[in-house]
Amino acid sequence: MFVVKYRPKSLKDFVNQKEALAKFINWYNSWRPGEKAALLYGKPGVGKTCLVEAFANDKNLQLIQMNASDTRSRKQIEEIFVNASQSLPIFKKGKIFLVDEVDGIAGREDVGGIQAIVDLIKKTRYPVVLTANDVYDQKLRAIREYCELIELKPLTVWDVEKKLKEICEKEGIEYEKEVLNMIAKRSDGDLRAAINDLETLVSGRKKISLKDLEILGYREREREMFEALKILFKTTSLMGAKMSISNVDLEPDTIFWWIEENIPNEYEKPEEIAEAFERLAKADLFRARIIHRNYWKLLRYFNDLMTAGVSLAKKDVYRKFTKYSFPSKLRYLSTTKDERGEEKEFLLKLSKILNCSTKKIRKEFNPYFQIFQKDSSFLEYIQKLKNQ
Amino acid sequence: MVGEFEVWAEKYRPKKFDEIINQEHAVERVKAFAQAKNIPHMLFAGPPGTGKTTLAIVLARELYGDGWKQNVLQLNASDERGIDVIRGQVKEFARTVAIGDVPFKLIILDEADAMTSDAQQALRRMMEMYANVTRFILICNYSSKIIEPIQSRCAVFRFKALEDVHVRDFVERIVKGEKLKISEDGINAVVRIAEGDLRRAANVLQASSILKEKITEDVVYEAASLAKPQEVKKMLEMALSGKFLEARKILEEMILKKGLSGQDIISEIYKQLVGLELDDKDKVHLIEKCGEIDFRISEGANELIQIESFLATLMLYGKKK
Repeated sequence: MFVVKYRPKSLKDFVNQKEALAKFINWYNSWRPGEKAALLYGKPGVGKTCLVEAFANDKNLQLIQMNASDTRSRKQIEEIFVNASQSLPIFKKGKIFLVDEVDGIAGREDVGGIQAIVDLIKKTRYPVVLTANDVYDQKLRAIREYCELIELKPLTVWDVEKKLKEICEKEGIEYEKEVLNMIAKRSDGDLRAAINDLETLVSGRKKISLKDLEILGYREREREMFEALKILFKTTSLMGAKMSISNVDLEPDTIFWWIEENIPNEYEKPEEIAEAFERLAKADLFRARIIHRNYWKLLRYFNDLMTAGVSLAKKDVYRKFTKYSFPSKLRYLSTTKDERGEEKEFLLKLSKILNCSTKKIRKEFNPYFQIFQKDSSFLEYIQKLKNQ
Repeated sequence: MVGEFEVWAEKYRPKKFDEIINQEHAVERVKAFAQAKNIPHMLFAGPPGTGKTTLAIVLARELYGDGWKQNVLQLNASDERGIDVIRGQVKEFARTVAIGDVPFKLIILDEADAMTSDAQQALRRMMEMYANVTRFILICNYSSKIIEPIQSRCAVFRFKALEDVHVRDFVERIVKGEKLKISEDGINAVVRIAEGDLRRAANVLQASSILKEKITEDVVYEAASLAKPQEVKKMLEMALSGKFLEARKILEEMILKKGLSGQDIISEIYKQLVGLELDDKDKVHLIEKCGEIDFRISEGANELIQIESFLATLMLYGKKK
């Protein structure tokens, strides 16, 4: 993976963030036990974790870290860091502790995690670094006062483009000038996303051009949709639910099936599922009226019922991580397009012979055809018809 | 079994006027039109499997002889994508004159009641525009679903529902033609299951003959139950026991994979509702809901989402038990 391969090994290779680097080095040099920890914050993909890793490498420090994929209860945190605190570093000049994505510490599973981190900061013999996307997250209130806040700014388009260029040159990839610029622009300062996009485009090719960018467009919209679902299902406000889909660049009809698919993923109580589906069914009724009577004015009811109608069907917000999924219906329709085309073609041939519509064949004949299949001459007959 | 396979429903479709069962009033008049080689636009309305399409084809044969297919355009409203496609086909077809001594060509439009009223208006204009070179035969189950201006331009023939004795005639024709070994009870069973629909009678009989050489009452019922879709029942059971995801999956398979129509599925749901183990009061609520989604679908709403909302509601009543 490019993101791993081209991770900066040293702060020399680091992309921009001069201000943050200076602040960080300053904090580290003046750190003594009992002093504040460093809290690096900024949008995803700006280099928070990389900075600590590269720094540890430069200074020959042993990096002890914990990230969001670990459970971070008090017990776990003490086990890792307190033990590490008591031993001296082997082969290295010192140690540095990193608790990645502290704002991702979940309330329920990671019991006492936040308090454990505060205790760690107070007692540690080695400097502690925390990272977070949103420093003003409620959960971090207790931690903030024990931290030196260091912001990592979003990277500029130029920064990102430069790094992409470097990767392309090292990988021997030819590129149209515009492409890297476009990838950089859409990354919105997230270098990791940009590098991932580049890798997606490159996969198996030695040359990338502007029209390859379309592949990314779909992924982008899908990501937006997942974000929108998170907001839609978790909010309790009418406006919040209505606005949730405003950034999604998909047809309302498509968004509809995304919501439909995920109602039973989010809601657990039958009453809520029933109510949510009734709202969707009502929204659908408005869609039918819009189409048949050309009453575009009704579109607002379709939108509101589909978003707020579904969102407010819940009694309480589910404080759980919900895995949202891609609409199975859309997937089915897109993956079986050829198959269904062939079937339709066959049914049309049959409809000429049987003098009735394909709809009637499906309803009146197909159930009996299941039985006819026991007769080999029927199978021959079908095969012959298909080959015609 | 040796030889070419044939679907009996088609093989035993009447080829002549006097083979058509129990629709004498319509047959007599259409026959007279054929002899005069002059027909009006016509509308055939009646239950499925009573001979509407058959009469249209017999008439075409009578008019044009063996080369009838060249002079006839057979369309199915439910298979043509919209009125514009139909218009295009009619226009193309009407460009050339009929071969032979009949001065017009014939357009048979089946399932005309599947058309929206807007599409029917367009159809009406077509009927006028090409009146000098073509004749239309519109076929439908319910003449009330055909707009008034079309009805007034057509000679309307209502096909009668068939009684058991008529179905029996047809069944015996096939039994004789195929030299089947079937018991008297077996014939009765076929007649009962057909419910006046000759197409269904032929299908049940053919399926029975494939299951067993000697056809008894039991064999016929076995064939009928094998052909009867079990999915709707299973889907309702799943929803009632709170397994919404499973119920939804079955529905998706029926509509997306098997291509069944939502209206047919709802009809089956409606039939089964009464038999569910539920409080009668709850059943009334569910009937109301069923009617509501049925109506919505007839107004163009999406079948999947509407039936899903019914299943989600059903889940609530299952929980009460």
